[in-house]
This record gives sequence, structure tokens and C-alpha cells, in this order.
Amino acid sequence: MSALIFTVKASVSRVIDCKKLTPDYLQGKSIAAISSIALGSQTVADVFDVQGDDATTLVFKNTTPQLHYIGYRMKTGSITIEGDVGDFTGAEMQGGVLICKGNTGKRTGDTMRRGLLLIEGNTGDYCASNMRAGTLGLLGSTGAYLGYGMQRGTLLLSQNPAEQATWLDCGLHTLPFLNMLYQSFQILDTKFTQLSNRRVRRWMGDVSGLGKAEILVLQT
Amino acid sequence: MKLNGVQIDDTFAEAFNMRGTRVLITAQNLKWAYNAANAMTGFATSVIGCGVEAGIERVLLESETPDGRPGVSILMFAMGSKVLMQQLETRMGQCILTCPTAAAFSGIESEDQISLGKNLRYFGDGNQISKLLPNAKGENQRYWRIPVMDGEFLTQETTGMVRAIGGGNFLVLGESQPQVLAACEAAIEAMKKLPNLIMPFPGGVVRSGSKVGSKYPKMFASTNDAFCPTLKGSVKSELSDDIESVMEIVIDGLTFEDIALSMKVGIEAACALGPDNGIKRISAGNYGGKLGPHLFKLHDVLNGNLSGADK
Repeated sequence: MSALIFTVKASVSRVIDCKKLTPDYLQGKSIAAISSIALGSQTVADVFDVQGDDATTLVFKNTTPQLHYIGYRMKTGSITIEGDVGDFTGAEMQGGVLICKGNTGKRTGDTMRRGLLLIEGNTGDYCASNMRAGTLGLLGSTGAYLGYGMQRGTLLLSQNPAEQATWLDCGLHTLPFLNMLYQSFQILDTKFTQLSNRRVRRWMGDVSGLGKAEILVLQT
Repeated sequence: MKLNGVQIDDTFAEAFNMRGTRVLITAQNLKWAYNAANAMTGFATSVIGCGVEAGIERVLLESETPDGRPGVSILMFAMGSKVLMQQLETRMGQCILTCPTAAAFSGIESEDQISLGKNLRYFGDGNQISKLLPNAKGENQRYWRIPVMDGEFLTQETTGMVRAIGGGNFLVLGESQPQVLAACEAAIEAMKKLPNLIMPFPGGVVRSGSKVGSKYPKMFASTNDAFCPTLKGSVKSELSDDIESVMEIVIDGLTFEDIALSMKVGIEAACALGPDNGIKRISAGNYGGKLGPHLFKLHDVLNGNLSGADK
């Protein structure tokens, strides 16, 4: 079994809705069936070259910011994005692992409920907006309104975000739990495996709502 | 049968079905892991008065613990699942939650899961945080991070509960109290190197073996007068003139084989001191084979038949 690889064709220039390209939805489908899935007004075959047969492991290559909603509502399996993608990446995730080796657009992890979302690059505005639970890691920079309306869950950042009135500074801490989180990264192909620092500044928010979420900013 | 000149009685230990669990306790360093584990397994020598029998199984390497910190594993046994669940929750709350830097994790796999930190999380008063993280096998496990004054108390939500056996035992009979104690210490030292079992009494040794019943109607058990040296002349004694002291080692383990092997190792270590050091006889405690479903025949065990003679 080899990972199901979606390679974006050079001719693609329009916005693509990738909601259906999750391990859950593709399970048990043949390459032919997958190629005929409608993505808005186009089909998978119009947008991607598809190879492989393991629908639990998806890989997106030659990606562009025109690809939106990758990993939308995914429940199981893993998705690896080997480049930049667009908005709502990992939105409403309910499980599984989504790794983006490039940058993501706006509303990354919006209303995420469960699972692990790791972004090695930068994200756009409203990252983790309305997030309910789960873990979102980010090695790059964030846009405006980080964690807007975030209720629960963890944002792990390597760079300081802009301060916001609805996020409360809870100080510096050394958290043993991060050992376990880092161990869970070790089976993944990502730069996050290099993390070992357990010293973080902890913020709680978004206190305009439930306020039970946390932002952990790794200290150097 | 004799071993190094020590007589081995043709008798058996009689053991019972129990429910058991294993918990991995970690802390900032081994000293504090021991502090937590000692508290957790304190006052847990016998189910008769303590509810559970518990003890430290072994020290864990940092590479063996879920959070990569120093730790120890403890085993806990009870006569039924309900008592085990109650005792585990109580001891988690009073001994691990309270212990600086300590964390607790499941140490045994089973379809039967019992609460470890599942209900303790409410101590967080709404500030507790759940984390679902994959273990080494990629299976998601739920953990709770509970804010406490020293930082965060980290605990896995549940641990496994398995069928186990309690009450494996053997008696060491010798010429004097110090000599018998020395033989028991040697036995315990050897047995502690084995996995999947504990010797729950103080230092692993018990001096107050009991028989079923008593002259007093309210007492279910009373002193094992047949093995009390000071009563040799007044009761139907099991002791010869040269025996002045008897001590017992009780073993709880996960399987019959675990207990049988530990008995073999322990008896051999005790007998290694031999008659020259006052060790005369090895026997075992039983109820005539009528109560417990597991019989550990001393001769079979010492002959290497460890697979069991369950009734």
C-alpha cells in the first residue's frame, strides 16, 4: 500500500474546494472513482494527477493557495501538504493528523474539534477561530485575530503572536505534558519532531467567549 | 524433598482469584516518584483490612515512562473490581494528586478500563484540559492536565484491569528470629527482580500468619497457632523442637506462572543460607485446598513445574 498522492496539475488557476478529499470520504474508492469526484464545477481529474492506493494517508503535492478546505471535517488518517495552500485548512477537523509543510491561508483550523494540525510555515488571519478542542502547532508567523472566539484546545507557537485584549497572560511555565506531545510527533514526518523545549508562556482565552483555550508560546 | 539441606514440606500454597492493575508513576526525579508510590501503596498489606494489596513492582527507565521522566510501576490487587476501582480512585486523589511533580499513567493493557484520572479531573474546577495523544502503537489515549499549585498534574484517564492471583506464599522455619528474617530478606531481594508481582507485607515479609476462625465469634481469622513457636507444647503444633521462629512471604501476581517462578526463586534464595545459618524447613499456608482455586505445590514449583496445578 502506498499513500494516495494528489499532484496539482500545472494548468490549475481557479479556486478549488477540497472538502471531499479526506481519508474518511475516499476510503474504499478506486482511482477512477476518486478521479470523478466533483470539486465544485470541476472534477478531481481536472485538478490533480492521482496515484497510490492507501486512502488513510493522503499527500498533496505541487500545491497552490487556490486549494481551500483541505482536511475539512477529517476524522481519521493523515494528510500531508507539501507546499502552500489556501483558507480553511483543517477546518472543523474531528480527528487524525494534518501536516502542512508550507503556508496556509485564513481561518486555518476554524472550529476544529479534535486531532492534530501542524503548520510548518505561516498562517493567515483568524487562525484557530472558534476552535473547540484539539492541538494546532505553528512554526511560522500568524496573521491578525489569532484564536478569535477559540473556546478550548491548544495553540503551540514558536513565535510570539500579537497581543490581544481577549487573551490573558498566565506567565512562564515548564510543562511536563509537552514531553508527551513531542513524543507523539516522533512518528510523523515533520519539523515538529525537532521540538524539545518545555518552557512556554501560557495565554488563556478567548475571554470574549468561553475562555478555556490556551496559547503556548515556546521560549528560546 | 531437601534443598541445600533444608526440608521442603510436601504441601502447597493456596491462592485466590483477584483483580489487578498496574500504574506508572513518574515525577521530577526518582525520589519524588518513590514518595508518591510509597504513599499510594501504603496501608495496603492485606485485603482483609486495607481493601487492596499493593506494592512497588520496579523502577522504570526514563525511556520506559510515557512522559520521559523517572518513575516506578506499582501493582494493586483487590478481591473484586468494585473495590479495586474505589481504592484506586481514592489513592490517586490522596497520594498522587497531592504529591509534588507526580504524574500517573496506565501500566497495563486490557479491555476492562477503570478510572485513573477520569473523575479526578473535576478537581480542576473547570480549568482542567483534556488531551488525546497517540501512544507508541498509534492508539489515541486521553490524558488530563489539571492545574495545581506546583504547576500541572498530568494523568491518563484510565488504566487497564486484569484477572490476577493473590495469596501465593511460603513459610520459612528456622532456629532463631534473626536467622529466619535474614533468609526472608534474601528471598525478597531475589524475588523483587521479577516482574508482574508484589510482596505486599512490610518489607515483603509477614509474621502473623492466620488460620480461618477464632474462639471469639466476631473474629473471622486468628493467629496460626500451629506455627506459633511459643505454643508448641500447648496446641497441635506443626513445629519441631528446633524451630523457634516462622515467617511468611505472600505474593500477589498477574499470572500463576509469575507467582510460581517467584516462589521458586524465593525459596531457593532462602535455602541458600542452609541449616548452618539456622534455616531448617520450608512450608506453605493453605486451607486444605477447599477455598482457593490455585494450588502451588512446593515440590512441583521447585522442580520447575511452573505452569500450574489449578484445581
